[in-house]
Amino acid sequence: MSEKFLSVKNLHVHYVTSDADVSAVNGISLDLYKGRTLGLVGETGAGKTTVARTILGILPKPAGRITDGEVIFEGQDIYKLTEPQMQKIRGSKITMIFQDPMTALNPVMTVGDQIAEVVELHNGGDRAAAKKRAVEMLETVGIPAERYVEYPHQFSGGMKQRVVIAIALACNPTLLLADEPTTALDVTIQAQVLELMKKLNSENDTSMILITHDLGVVAEMCDDVAIMYAGQIVEKGSLEDIFDHPQHPYTEGLFGALPSMKDDEDDRLKPIAGMPPDPTDLPSGCYFHPRCPYATEQCSKEAPCVNEVAPGHLVQCHLRTRREA
Amino acid sequence: MSALVEITDLKKYFKSPKGMVHAVDGVTMSIEKGSTMGVVGESGCGKSTLGRVLIQMLAPTGGKLLFDGEDVTNLKGQALRDYHSRAQFIFQDPYSSLDPRYTVEQAIAEPLINARKFSRIEIEKKTTELMDMVGVAQRLRQSYPHELDGGRRQRVVIARALALDPEFIVCDEPVSALDVSIQAQVLNLLEDLQKERNLTYMFITHDMSVVKHISDNISVMYLGQLVETSESRELFVHSYHPYTKALLSAIPSTDIHHRMNRIVLKGEITSPINPPPGCRFAARCPYATDKCREPQKLEEVAPNHFVSCCRVREVNPELA
Repeated sequence: MSEKFLSVKNLHVHYVTSDADVSAVNGISLDLYKGRTLGLVGETGAGKTTVARTILGILPKPAGRITDGEVIFEGQDIYKLTEPQMQKIRGSKITMIFQDPMTALNPVMTVGDQIAEVVELHNGGDRAAAKKRAVEMLETVGIPAERYVEYPHQFSGGMKQRVVIAIALACNPTLLLADEPTTALDVTIQAQVLELMKKLNSENDTSMILITHDLGVVAEMCDDVAIMYAGQIVEKGSLEDIFDHPQHPYTEGLFGALPSMKDDEDDRLKPIAGMPPDPTDLPSGCYFHPRCPYATEQCSKEAPCVNEVAPGHLVQCHLRTRREA
Repeated sequence: MSALVEITDLKKYFKSPKGMVHAVDGVTMSIEKGSTMGVVGESGCGKSTLGRVLIQMLAPTGGKLLFDGEDVTNLKGQALRDYHSRAQFIFQDPYSSLDPRYTVEQAIAEPLINARKFSRIEIEKKTTELMDMVGVAQRLRQSYPHELDGGRRQRVVIARALALDPEFIVCDEPVSALDVSIQAQVLNLLEDLQKERNLTYMFITHDMSVVKHISDNISVMYLGQLVETSESRELFVHSYHPYTKALLSAIPSTDIHHRMNRIVLKGEITSPINPPPGCRFAARCPYATDKCREPQKLEEVAPNHFVSCCRVREVNPELA
């Protein structure tokens, strides 16, 4: 296995406001290896974006609080770093692509200058070099250099997302956090953007955490997958582990709820009963037990620990202690 | 089976400072009673506009719309209100299609009150029935939309649409704003209601797996025009239009062992403002020739399978 350079250990994040205490992330551990892509999958409110924001050190202040755990990036605990130290990492070594390209760009700045700005901040203020790099990046993502002087509103959604990708990759980051990068795009444009991200990541040996709810995108892009539910990783493994041998009842449920593209499988969909839990009032025991078809009494009382059901394939469930081959 | 909805050469143009936007440009289709017509395409292809014209929320610029054999192209006043008790609409976003100041009960009762046909007791009783039908618990009667999650809100929207017992419902991306597990619940509900009440749906979506699951027939739109229409299963086995092929191949598949050959299209959808005559897809089409600059016609290439492409036989040698 290649070098491990990011490791999140037992992370807990709460959002504390005057009228609620939201447990967004409840004990997440994950490791990322050089050049690999990890898919972080889950539904709205599962805590996926919070994990990414924690890694980048941009939790909303003052509500967002790390109550436990640590994030080790290249040997340093990033929450022991000062803000100026963190600023050096953010945008150069760790970058993020946000879901909505329409709001991620500055409307009153040309797209070229927005790319150059990032480069200039991290190359010691050499404006000429930054501009040159910005032109290069535009061409890398397939935008003609003469559009450097145009503004975001002159671009379509797919083109804007390319600009956002250019900004994110301009400083050759080691870690790219992509939060639903193609959700706002049409399928044929999504295909172009995914293809581009795949190509650039492999050329630069960038590692990526891809946050998505789309299992199809995961299947195309990821080496490893972590399934999140109510702020926890309920199952984690290689792409093959998760797609060929899903073990956690929630993972199973996700696949069952998906309309199939295969022929002659027009059976009824199997939705997961009930609703995701309220993060201000999580159930006892296993957070999934109220919706789980296999739940036993133990599930409602004790929180399950993580079992390694096969090498590298981890499941947090009382009922799965090893994988039947 | 007979057609409930028949549209012929339907057009809807919008004025804009830059010229006429050809949002829907000569669409002909018919929807059988009790069936589901899926309409797919990317943003800006005119699928929502088509739905809105069908429901008479927008007056067509040209063409004809028949509902159950009657011409309903330009209804007004009471005739339009009567039409709306037979044809209804479900919008994409359950967060903005409910009045935030109406309780669940008020929201569902509103169309019944507006119909001026029912007594208060009847309205009360019908509201209860509708809530049961769509699976919204009675204890939520006095709740406001902000207190409900997306899935429940969409159920309330569905109950409202069903209140006057319509025959036809245009569903515009009804599950796109919902999570997968909730999406499946709502899709199942729509299917059950269709079976129970012999409803006819037009199901507008950009999600190919959803449309395949729910539709009997599928129409693929590109820039205001139909490019291909066929029976649902047939379309996924044999797609003949170059755009349909690219669209289908672009869907990320969850099958990690069998990879489809992906056709990645160059460029993006061109502008619907004053489009040139001829095939709208020609600018991005890998097979385009000069012939494609002439107006195209829908042609039946296989039983009930229509394609609008002059090179369809060259692109698909099996048809020649």
